[in-house]
Amino acid sequence: MAEDDHDALAAEYVLGTLSADERGQAQALIGIDPGFAEVVRQWERRLGELHVMVEAIEPPPEVWDKIKTDVRTLAPKPAIESPPVAAAVHEPPKAPELPAASPLASLASSLLSPEPVPQPEPETRVPKAAADLSAALLSVAAPPKEAGRSADVIYLAGRVKRWQRMTLALGTLAALLALFVAASIFGAVSFAPTPSSMIVRAVRSQQDRLVAVLQQGPVAPAFLVTMDTQNRTLTVRRVAATVETGRSYELWLISSRLGNPRSLGVVGNDEFTQRALPRNYDIDTLKTASYAVSLEPAGGSPSGAPTGPVLFTGKAFESLPDAPPPT
Amino acid sequence: MLTQGELVWLVAAVARGDESAFEQLYEATRAKLYGVLLRILGRPELAEEVMQETYLKVWSTADKFDPTLGSPITWMVAMARNRAIDIVRKKGEVSIEDGPEALSVAAETPAPLARREMTEELKQLLSCLGKLDPEKQRIVLLAYYSGWSRDQLSRKLDIPVNTIKTWLRRSLLEIRECMGR
Repeated sequence: MAEDDHDALAAEYVLGTLSADERGQAQALIGIDPGFAEVVRQWERRLGELHVMVEAIEPPPEVWDKIKTDVRTLAPKPAIESPPVAAAVHEPPKAPELPAASPLASLASSLLSPEPVPQPEPETRVPKAAADLSAALLSVAAPPKEAGRSADVIYLAGRVKRWQRMTLALGTLAALLALFVAASIFGAVSFAPTPSSMIVRAVRSQQDRLVAVLQQGPVAPAFLVTMDTQNRTLTVRRVAATVETGRSYELWLISSRLGNPRSLGVVGNDEFTQRALPRNYDIDTLKTASYAVSLEPAGGSPSGAPTGPVLFTGKAFESLPDAPPPT
Repeated sequence: MLTQGELVWLVAAVARGDESAFEQLYEATRAKLYGVLLRILGRPELAEEVMQETYLKVWSTADKFDPTLGSPITWMVAMARNRAIDIVRKKGEVSIEDGPEALSVAAETPAPLARREMTEELKQLLSCLGKLDPEKQRIVLLAYYSGWSRDQLSRKLDIPVNTIKTWLRRSLLEIRECMGR
């Protein structure tokens, strides 16, 4: 019976005996099924006390120094996890002839300027192009239908403490860090939720949307890819990307689990291109894959593999908050 | 040694951004978490990495801690274990083979605690575990403490994987019924 299967899955998830794939399934289920998340909590309650019998071992003192530094970088609260950023920056993009990375700080400060938030980098120059792109990035927080309400999104986004989407940041190190700062802006506008709303958010889906921002630098064509893993749709938004006659941009998913890059389709000339997410990629693959955009002949690659220059590449690393539920 | 109440107070303070409370929480819990992680990951540098990630997550999500669901340490250990097991599963369990995993059976099940140190929940859990037959008990405890997958359990105990799966299912079901939900 399905309920027993779910109970067994939850129990083995908590115990730790599931395979990597099964863990991925369980984690996805936790994200989309509050009933299952509750079963997992019950098992954690039952088995959790076993830790009492584990021998305590003192960690090296440097661990605290690193934690303290990380926490300071995340101020002000609420903070977001920085380790995913570290993971992303270990993968330098291989895009040919990238423009020299602009200083992170100029984009960071342009993102920071609308909000009176203390900033880690004391840079003050704000190139206009960076400000334009930062405006584009800020409006990514809303799904395409709500793009008109971007100002509301910034205000309301601060109220949501849970990350609803994964952001896949593609591009140079500067771009990755810029997005990290952008994401922390949303989190940094803090309005303490009431206790009841905290509990509601605890069961909200964590993984139903994935967002990718594809850019080469602060001043460059950009592609914003949103994947709704619950409804299985993919939306690509072009930001300041020129329409190239005779050429098409094509989106690729690259994962060690799949071997060759897999096409996610050609990006249309409209601002938004939406299509169904192919069924054969599970959420774990989507979260851990690299994404890339290449410039192909009109209509896309004739061969099923990238033939033109791969312009952007990167991995998932952060989340942006969704618009909060109506109260 | 901090009491449950003190730990809960510290977590609430951390939720408000209190760095000194965060440091106190770290001091009170670091050895337990590190012990748990080192057992699962085998390598100190990995354990240190997951320590960092876990405490950052504690800092970021302290406002979501629900004291009615369990103690702060249980909450933190669950986060740490989840991350550690994700890592060992993704590494394909190859590098863990050469970790300090060759523990004898005696070392695998930790030293018994004096009964008065145990919480009610733990006493009940241990009593229910005690009702399982010894082979199944050992598998459940090995799984929890070392973070081994069914495949690893099967290989190390020389028991077919399907048997491990069946035994785990049954044992967990018996634990659930014994503990009365």
